[in-house]
Amino acid sequence: MEISRRNLVQSAIAAGTLAAGAPAIARAQSAPPANRTIRAVMQGDLRSFDPIWTTANITAYHGALIYDMLFSIDADFKPQPQMVDTWTVSDDKLTYTFVLRDGLAWHDGTKVTASDCVASIKRWAARDGGGQALLARTKSMTAKDDKTFVIALSAPFGLVIDVLAKPSTPVCFMMPLKDAETDPNQQITGRTGSGPFIFNVAETKPGNRYVYDRNPHYVPRKEPASGMAGGKIAKVDRVIFENLADDQTALAALQTGEIDFFEVIPIDFLPQVKDDPDITVEILNKTGNVGFLGMNNLHAPFDKLKARQAMLYLVNQTDFLKASFGDPKYYRTCGSYFGCGTDMENDANTAWFKAAPDKAMAKKLFMESGYDGRPVVILQPTNFAFMNNAATILGQELTDIGVKVDLAASDWGGVITRRAVQAPDDQGGWDIFTTFSSGYSVANPVGYIGDATNGKSAWFGWPTDALNEKLRDEWATAPTLADRKAVARKIQENAWNVVPHAFLGQWVAPVAHRSNVKGWLAVPEVIPFWNVSKA
Amino acid sequence: MIGFIARRLLATVPVMVVIGLFVFLLLHLAPGDPAAIIAGDNATPASILAIRHQLGLDQSILVQFLRWSWRVLQGDLGISIFSQTPVATLIGQRLGPTVSLTLTTAVFSVSIALCVGVLAGWRSGGVLDRMVMAFAALGFSVPVFVVGYGLIYLFAIDLRWLPVQGYVSLQRGLWPWFQHLILPSLALGLAYIALIARITRTAMLDVLSEDYIRTATAKGVAATPMLLHHALRNAAVPIVTVIGLGVALLIGGVVITETVFNIPGVGRLVVDAINQRDYPIVQGIILVFSGVYVLINLAVDISYLILDPRIRG
Repeated sequence: MEISRRNLVQSAIAAGTLAAGAPAIARAQSAPPANRTIRAVMQGDLRSFDPIWTTANITAYHGALIYDMLFSIDADFKPQPQMVDTWTVSDDKLTYTFVLRDGLAWHDGTKVTASDCVASIKRWAARDGGGQALLARTKSMTAKDDKTFVIALSAPFGLVIDVLAKPSTPVCFMMPLKDAETDPNQQITGRTGSGPFIFNVAETKPGNRYVYDRNPHYVPRKEPASGMAGGKIAKVDRVIFENLADDQTALAALQTGEIDFFEVIPIDFLPQVKDDPDITVEILNKTGNVGFLGMNNLHAPFDKLKARQAMLYLVNQTDFLKASFGDPKYYRTCGSYFGCGTDMENDANTAWFKAAPDKAMAKKLFMESGYDGRPVVILQPTNFAFMNNAATILGQELTDIGVKVDLAASDWGGVITRRAVQAPDDQGGWDIFTTFSSGYSVANPVGYIGDATNGKSAWFGWPTDALNEKLRDEWATAPTLADRKAVARKIQENAWNVVPHAFLGQWVAPVAHRSNVKGWLAVPEVIPFWNVSKA
Repeated sequence: MIGFIARRLLATVPVMVVIGLFVFLLLHLAPGDPAAIIAGDNATPASILAIRHQLGLDQSILVQFLRWSWRVLQGDLGISIFSQTPVATLIGQRLGPTVSLTLTTAVFSVSIALCVGVLAGWRSGGVLDRMVMAFAALGFSVPVFVVGYGLIYLFAIDLRWLPVQGYVSLQRGLWPWFQHLILPSLALGLAYIALIARITRTAMLDVLSEDYIRTATAKGVAATPMLLHHALRNAAVPIVTVIGLGVALLIGGVVITETVFNIPGVGRLVVDAINQRDYPIVQGIILVFSGVYVLINLAVDISYLILDPRIRG
């Protein structure tokens, strides 16, 4: 047989292409089909895999996929047992005994033990506000046998189950002992959990895509899925977090079906998908977010009560919300210290809210505070739309009442660095910063770090108020929800007098997904991927 | 030739030292603290201090610089503050997409630009020349991301011919790999084509007015060999210089292109690292990019020797 040069070249190209494509064929055979795979563009890159070490929500999403929880909240925010089978509390409310349910196993096949859970709670509690409140009242926390552990308290703490079940970061996920014994200030290296999905290290490309495969050995609870509670049944074989940084590209990818889920679709993109039958827009986090206005209580002008009170009258929440979210369907003004639509929402001491905005009153209070005319430094993170807009609007509103303003613009990295400086403005400090917190978390005055008023140990702004601290403690020990609501009214009554911080309104952020992907569970702060199926 | 290359390579050492020092100081003197970023929104002053201590950021800049330099001299670019992964590994993982994008863009850009540049120079003042000049002005004026979005809308959303985003490695097949690079390469290459086409046209105009071209034409040399063999070869030095310089343009452009088209390359890595103040990554990437740039310049210098024998003398 004669082989021409052309044939030889063609054969070589064909062989090369086959060789290059061979691994792809092998992979294609093992990869789940498209209708069993969810590709999701989440709020950001998954930079840390340790949901205790960081408070980044994306890491909590990762945690919810691969780890499980002792308790979880249902759709009505009520805690329900998840890994726990039964639990009891002694009559004096000081001893909690938990028994783990059958069938719990780590992804490597070993059994989940009570010792794993005790170590996990301790590590989580070291980093979480609610956990620290629990630890402060804990006499001992010990494993009785492989399935049973006991928390013995030194004083009653009505929130034991609530803090273990909360979905706000850091979430109390259970980890194997070797990870749970890691110093809470260092990141874990393991990726092994006992949750409904298994982290696929081989297919994951850090910075690009993170791959999770269905855990075939996971034993879900019998109850139907509700919020974070109930049976966590993985209805797809694979979930992929695609790290797609550009919103416009993410929208295009959703429109063409290259991705199935777009978590943070900008509000101004919604008209583009409004009439697209292949795309559904819905709200999963019903309590949304609350805009936070932090004031530096250590230095003038906001070390003066009247200057802080002036801010309540000055802020026009509608302006802030409209500038960033446009459509009133997605935002609401709110005068409650605990966010609106939450268990703790109340109307105590909200006369200012009914009067605001009242620039004349704001000006009067600000000038009575002894304002000396020096510029108020507002930290402005230019790479976060809401906070960037908020700083600009706030600057204008302060200018309108005769206060000089210095907008300190930088990226978020620069803002959070300067925000930590406790020195006065002329030594690198600041007067005002803005951020946002989840509506669910602000409703918990013990767990929400922004509510602490213990001076320099408190969150940025460092407010001091002994009564608020006493009331937070009272709230933590209140035995029932009704009792906690009553204390919450007292906290709010006091808070709107001393104004440790102010709020800029509340909003919800819709998610967009392909219409053939159904079963999304409405949960604040976490996006669960169990119960989700694709037609 | 070998002596020349050795001298040039030695000359890169002080350049790299200055770059290293500059990059280190620039990053550490800029506002932003990785410890505060790591600690997150719920940080307390105490937790930020603890993290700073853990990362060694509470030591003097001089100590930090000396430690970093010593590691770099040993070939260790350090470890990412956030992911705790060696920087060399991270760069290695991201090089494939960036090299693919840069090479694809360079190959097709140079091919197109040389053709239209030569033709525009040859038919100076004609319709083609005017079109090339207009295209060059457009190519310089329109930002990469605008071109990118336009291409995505037309070819991915409207016509559904090509994917919107993503990167597929060559191992997964030649066509899937190339398919994902077409739109990014077009977007990134526009300015590069404009630059090279203009320089080629100008260089060709100079050469085509030389006596030896007139002589060759008078002797009846056909247009194609005359343009390629006599004119283009003698116009090559400025063109090669611009191609080399243009690689720096491409390296800058990949940062935006990789973001728009979701290509997991070094450009994306450096942007994310800057936002997080992940100093070791930024320092490592800038050092690597600088090294690549120095080597490209060296290659351009060597090409002068090959293209123009007079320089050898």
